[in-house]
Amino acid sequence: MALKNQKQVEAFADNITACADDIHGRLIEAIKDKKIDQMTAQQIFQNEASLRQHANTLYIDAANFVVDGLGESHTSLIDLIGSARESIRTMEKMAGTIGLIANLILLAAAACTAKPGPILSAMKAVQSDILALNNSREPLSDGIDDLAGDSSANHTAIIRT
Amino acid sequence: MNAGKIASVILLTLSLLGCANLDEVREYATESAKFSAYTELTTRFRDTYEREQPYLSGEPAQHAQENDRRRKAAYNDLLKIHRGVALYMQTLAILAGEDTFSLSGEIDSLAGGIKAYPDLGIDAKHVDALAGITNTVTKWISASRQQNAVRNMVREGHEPLQTTLDGMNSLIRYYRKTNENEHKTVLGFFEVEMLFLDAPEDKLLEALARAHLQNKVREYSQAQQKYDNAEQGIMRIAEGHRKLFEGIDKLSSAEIRSAISKFAKDIKSVRQNLQYVHE
Repeated sequence: MALKNQKQVEAFADNITACADDIHGRLIEAIKDKKIDQMTAQQIFQNEASLRQHANTLYIDAANFVVDGLGESHTSLIDLIGSARESIRTMEKMAGTIGLIANLILLAAAACTAKPGPILSAMKAVQSDILALNNSREPLSDGIDDLAGDSSANHTAIIRT
Repeated sequence: MNAGKIASVILLTLSLLGCANLDEVREYATESAKFSAYTELTTRFRDTYEREQPYLSGEPAQHAQENDRRRKAAYNDLLKIHRGVALYMQTLAILAGEDTFSLSGEIDSLAGGIKAYPDLGIDAKHVDALAGITNTVTKWISASRQQNAVRNMVREGHEPLQTTLDGMNSLIRYYRKTNENEHKTVLGFFEVEMLFLDAPEDKLLEALARAHLQNKVREYSQAQQKYDNAEQGIMRIAEGHRKLFEGIDKLSSAEIRSAISKFAKDIKSVRQNLQYVHE
């Protein structure tokens, strides 16, 4: 493409649009002054519309330039969202740890009383806490993997919805 | 001072430190995530051909079809840009959320769990004291963790976010310019053809054309407002984040908090104006 960047493409498209506007003004004047017939007017209007389509093609090019230019920023944002979610997950693990501590206190207290019932139930609770802590949460498909596209970002989305 | 008083002073100090005060950040991020004018205008951009097609013929009609194919091909990538920003804002809102880093539910269950076994020799007063201290200490730990998490996100996110918002503003400008060409093609068609309607048998046609034209004029003037609002909203989101970034080390200062809160309100009112345009 002869035009190298987004700004050049936009400026060129703006010029083409301005030409179309100019042609339209002259066309309306000519019709009002009865200088042209309907067929000629329609022909000129087609040319005007054609110019507008050319300008619109260039606006699509400019938009594609923007999309390509944002690739790196997009990847940074998605990576950042992944690590923010990681820090939330750490907090959730910490919450799980508090439950574990509570059950450990119970187990210790139960052990002192030497009653099998409370000891067994406290042990079961501790076991399930540890299992829960070790099992990573199910990833949620809320768009982050899709958004990451081909980038190397591969985060596990863990936020509760 | 006895031990009890000292303990209560320590507890009070810790509980004051424990307030993260991120309400305004959450409010701003939530409002920014909800702002979806860009998405709507991207869809309008994609559907350009559908609206202009009846007024085109010959070479420009073929060219318009080719443009239509390219706009549709770009559509998903254009939307992805917005989804990246919205996801960032949603995550920031969750990070700044009241309950995200709160462990109080777990602490209640700790206290409740121990109370459930009174025969194990732990008395209720001990349980309350233990839960109270744990609560305050964890609140303090979690509040500072939360502040740090929000700070890190705002610091690292600032540059890519500003670049992305800047890009979105350029895209809105291209959408607007494309829409202006569409608008001039449609209204221009009527303007040219209606100038040739002067015979008495054309009266009916002329009336129908005028009625249709009135609707079109209204539609395009509403579209103009949408582009204005979208640009304003994106600008406010960018300015709000800049304020947040600059004041990141004094998030609890009244000046920063009221400024961030004002951005949140502005973004909300721009969004509501947009809804009003729809009605």
